[in-house]
Amino acid sequence: MDEISEEDQLDRQLREAAPYIDDNGFTACVLQQLPAPRRTRRSFRGAILLATALLASALAYIASDGGRFLIVAMERLVALPTVWLFAFALGSGLLVMTAGAIAAIAKVSEWHP
Amino acid sequence: MELTDADLVARVLVDDDQHAFGELVRRHQSTVRGLLRQLTRTDLALADDLAQETFLRAYKNIRGFRGEARFSTWLYRIAYNCFREDARRRKEFVGVDEEQLQAEHDPQVVDSALRHDLMHALSLLPLHERSAVLLCCQNGLSHDEASRVLGIPLGTVKTNVLRGREKLKRTLAEWGPN
Repeated sequence: MDEISEEDQLDRQLREAAPYIDDNGFTACVLQQLPAPRRTRRSFRGAILLATALLASALAYIASDGGRFLIVAMERLVALPTVWLFAFALGSGLLVMTAGAIAAIAKVSEWHP
Repeated sequence: MELTDADLVARVLVDDDQHAFGELVRRHQSTVRGLLRQLTRTDLALADDLAQETFLRAYKNIRGFRGEARFSTWLYRIAYNCFREDARRRKEFVGVDEEQLQAEHDPQVVDSALRHDLMHALSLLPLHERSAVLLCCQNGLSHDEASRVLGIPLGTVKTNVLRGREKLKRTLAEWGPN
């Protein structure tokens, strides 16, 4: 027990003995030596993503006979009893929430192992 | 809300945000420079040169940081590599640091004015024990993390910490009040 507290005391003394070193221009000096930042063409990247999404939507619209399947699905949905509709909405909500929670947990554990 | 190291790393990765990297440097410069000062036996100019090299390497290789360890641990690993490479270049790096072991037993070396000076006692430890004690006792790394930083087996780290601690205690006891 004494051994452990002695070790703790030594560790504490070591931590206290290490002085905080003031920056004194160190960070600025490092930043000056960094290579020039890459030109990130964020707008270009966004444009590509938007164009791809629009193209995919157009293809889906054509392939689905003018989006007819959506109308059919909506008609079926409207025809469902209220209880079923509620259960469907609840189930979908829970499913999306679970997927989101799993993704968030995975992201957190990735950064804070 | 203050951004975590992981948030700042993400900004550097996604946007090449040098301000975010600057914040990381500001946060860790003291510990990295302190570690290198101890490793280089208080050669301040060399330690700061190596610290700069450490951060430049960290920036260039930040894609290699996968978040499996703390950012500080990753930085210590780079800092230790920089120190080791420089020591090899200078042909001063020897695994056992025999010169220092001898110095430890030479009463002339222990300046009476430096009694109770823990950092001085630390600088008298051989390099392998000094590195392990610095990382585990002073910087709070686990034995496992220190093993990864130093690139040596876990058991060796534990032994080096134990021996380093014992020597520190002995040295401090010798310097203690008469």
